[in-house]
Amino acid sequence: MKTSAKIYTALIMLFLFAPIAILLIFSFNAAKSLSVFSGFSLYWYRELFRDAETLGAVRNTLVLALSAAVLSTAMGTAAAVGIFRLRSKVLRAAYDTVTNIPMINPDIITGISLMLMFVFVGRLFGAATSLNFWTMLIAHITFCLPYVILQVLPKLQQMDASLPEAAMDLGCTPFRAFLKVEIPEIMPGIVTGLIMAFTLSLDDFVISYFTAGNGFQTLPIRIYNMTKKTVTPKMYALSTIIFFTILALLIMTNLIDTGPGVEKQEKKERSAASKRRTKLAFGIGAVLAVGMAAVLFLGAPKKPVLNVYNWGEYISDGSEDSFDVLQGFEDWYLANYGHEVEVNYTTFASNEDMYAKLSSGAVSYDVIVPSDYMIARMREEGMLLPLDFDNIPNYQYIGESFKNLYYDPDNLYSVPYTYNFTGIIYDANRVDEADTGDWDLLWNPKYAGQILQFNNSRDAFGTAQYKLGLDVNSDDPADWQAALAALKEQQPLVKSYVMDEVYNMMESGEAAVCTYYAGDYFIMADAQAPGVELSFYAPERTNYFVDAFCIPTCCQNKELAEAFINYMLEYEPAVANAEYICYGCPNRLVYEDGAYAEDMGEEAMEILYPNLDDFGEKYEQFAFRNLSPAMLGTINTLWEELKIN
Amino acid sequence: MRKIIELKNVSKAFDGQTVLDNVSLDIYDNEFLTLLGPSGCGKTTTLRIIAGFESPDSGSLSFLGEDILSLPPHRRNVNTVFQRYALFPHLNVFENIAFPLREKKVPQDEIRGKVDEMLRLVALTGFEKRSVTSLSGGQQQRVAIARALISRPKVLLLDEPLAALDLKLRKDMQQELKNIQKATGITFVFVTHDQEEALSMSDTVVVMSEGRIQQIGTPIDIYNEPRNAFVADFIGESNILSGIMLQDRLVRFSGRDFPCVDEGFARNEPVDVVIRPEDVVIVPKGQLRGTVTSVTFLGVHYEIIVDIGGFKWMIQTTGFADVGDEIGIYVDPENIHIMKKSEYSGLFGDYSSFSNEFDELSDAESEAEP
Repeated sequence: MKTSAKIYTALIMLFLFAPIAILLIFSFNAAKSLSVFSGFSLYWYRELFRDAETLGAVRNTLVLALSAAVLSTAMGTAAAVGIFRLRSKVLRAAYDTVTNIPMINPDIITGISLMLMFVFVGRLFGAATSLNFWTMLIAHITFCLPYVILQVLPKLQQMDASLPEAAMDLGCTPFRAFLKVEIPEIMPGIVTGLIMAFTLSLDDFVISYFTAGNGFQTLPIRIYNMTKKTVTPKMYALSTIIFFTILALLIMTNLIDTGPGVEKQEKKERSAASKRRTKLAFGIGAVLAVGMAAVLFLGAPKKPVLNVYNWGEYISDGSEDSFDVLQGFEDWYLANYGHEVEVNYTTFASNEDMYAKLSSGAVSYDVIVPSDYMIARMREEGMLLPLDFDNIPNYQYIGESFKNLYYDPDNLYSVPYTYNFTGIIYDANRVDEADTGDWDLLWNPKYAGQILQFNNSRDAFGTAQYKLGLDVNSDDPADWQAALAALKEQQPLVKSYVMDEVYNMMESGEAAVCTYYAGDYFIMADAQAPGVELSFYAPERTNYFVDAFCIPTCCQNKELAEAFINYMLEYEPAVANAEYICYGCPNRLVYEDGAYAEDMGEEAMEILYPNLDDFGEKYEQFAFRNLSPAMLGTINTLWEELKIN
Repeated sequence: MRKIIELKNVSKAFDGQTVLDNVSLDIYDNEFLTLLGPSGCGKTTTLRIIAGFESPDSGSLSFLGEDILSLPPHRRNVNTVFQRYALFPHLNVFENIAFPLREKKVPQDEIRGKVDEMLRLVALTGFEKRSVTSLSGGQQQRVAIARALISRPKVLLLDEPLAALDLKLRKDMQQELKNIQKATGITFVFVTHDQEEALSMSDTVVVMSEGRIQQIGTPIDIYNEPRNAFVADFIGESNILSGIMLQDRLVRFSGRDFPCVDEGFARNEPVDVVIRPEDVVIVPKGQLRGTVTSVTFLGVHYEIIVDIGGFKWMIQTTGFADVGDEIGIYVDPENIHIMKKSEYSGLFGDYSSFSNEFDELSDAESEAEP
């Protein structure tokens, strides 16, 4: 019985802490891989402290959490006292219920409704951007409040009701009685409420996501936006630091709370402990005041600001000894135009996220980087401004194959940034060279149980359509039925349907064949385990996609935005970006450059720049385009039919 | 004696329920006055009105001739000892007692001297640094008293301060409270539901029931000359019989005429007759005869219930009678007390359904209530 209980406890501990242990271990990994531990290193910690954007997000998160915690604790305590003093039971129950609503309400509803309110009120006052630090602070206070009340109210109810009366009887005004007697009594509740509010605010994602404006990004949002590419191990290092900080905080509060253990000793220390708690609260308050002052100060910069909205991990940011492009732009601008600018850089995780944020009307960005099909859609909906190419002379360096593509046939709205395409990645140690070359490898029964397929309908259907020679943009349901039949035929061979998990499964050799994007192959090859030898090829017919700079209609400073786009096409930043992102670059200064080719290596150059002369032709023929909503519905139904099997 | 507090026609209702009904009461200097009554009689509410925690719906309250109803509690020259002491758990003994002086910004060395004096008064010298939660109930009680007395109020209000103590400690504290009151000369207004406590400590007892004052008097007056059946029953044990006052000094009850010492009733006026159990003497023949139905040995005496013509009497006697014995009883005319009929007539004084256990139960209940 006793041993089984111990085993049970051990199992629970294992389940609880194994993920954190793994995170901790891999934060010290010398390599990028999650499957191979290639030696102890502080490399990722060093990288983390060089990443100004992430550190900025950490600072934002801390300032926000501290402000929200202190303000919601003050307001929540006052509210709890108010509710407690109500004489009418009905009224008290009503207030109790109402304050609990934000707690039981799904975050997503709280988030959406808060965003709507901020946008609505902002419009009422004619603000161009209504979401900012202060709206986020209000949102965080909103969801922290009930938790504070929940901590403080029971302490008030447990308190001997005659304590405040005794204080008044002995000469205190009601307010003094509250300060001198009630506050010390409910202090444990206040401190717990404060810490709860702080941690809640710290890790909130959903509500922050909806109420975040341009320029103020919290850590959870920043990490989420890294999913276009894989999350960098810097984040493991950061998570480890956060975990230990919170652990220390927790141990500290437990020590304060239970420090005095046994009766006699205990009581002597109690008043000292409550003094310490009060000091702690005042300390936090002081830190907050300084933080708020700093935010206020920083919140009103005098120089012009350029708001850039890009994918996460999609710019050379100075990490791993790369060139800091944003800093470069600020320096370049000062040198060429004679005055300072500030780049306010924010990231998004998907085209749809970006589109939703822009169409909410609550934010304004000057430069965005959507993908081709989204450019087509936004152009049709009038969300883009035509570019003044006199301000973007470097457009001349864009390869001819990348001009006049369907999403911007007259080259009015976009400047291509990167391109990428789908291909097949395989482990050369296990896959016969003779079996490679086209899509059939994904259907080859020799590799049953070692094949990975996309876990997203459009890409997965695409593999079947390319294999069968069908049009990926067909509006004939029969074409899609045929593709579905092929996918069903493939299903018994598929190990699993994956997206981000693909990295680990390929790097570790768990799977032998997968289909994924060319640029991501380099990341996998970099981190492959011993005994695994990854290789790549792109079949003749495959999906190409382009991401390009555009200027949305909400732009506040178009000339500055065009200067930024122009700068991004300059030799130094363009090469730095291309090397950082590892996608194809449509800039001749880059792909015709010898130093770049040398840095990338022969294999990469062959893969990324096979024959650019017919890029435009293949792109027009094979790239995914927007489908009608009805068609997308049909595809989803078919996809579910496949996944249910 | 100087009148300190005067309540005049005070009424108070909570949620439409009358708690105090036209109460008038004078409290004098240097007096130990007890508000006595069962739970819900309004005694605590009266105390809270004097302290300033409640305000009456109507009536007036004056302190040394000045109306103080509009004064908040912290501006009234009275202090309270709460039922559960209400010591501040985050402060030690010294700081608890010094609390009122700190509020008044009294200099430190003066505080030191006064707290020491108070600690001596309540016999807690040496306990300064102790945490109040580490003290026993009796010690906490003393701290509460010291804290309430340190500002030398004119009046100290005590709300059932001994209810939470065990019997032995309660007896000691009763004596001690009485001594403190004498030593300080401060007027004590003491609330209790324990009639023994009230009789042994007070100069004046105020018996309350259902929000009204039933009788005000010295303990001896209250015991010997209860004004109605409620007071007679609540203060000690009483056999209360319905009778007719035939003429001065002659009353008829239980089918017989008894000589007595009371005068001033109308001829043939229906009255209540009170006879204390210890005043009934068992004799061979007697004025009345009945059958013993129960006998309880209580140490000092026996408590015997006798059925006389369907009415059950309680007798406290050192003699012995067995259940089933037929006995005679005699009551001295001096010990027959005649009262006017009241709303309480017929409700009390018959021991048909009496049991000790039941009495204790109802005691415990009333203690549980504030």
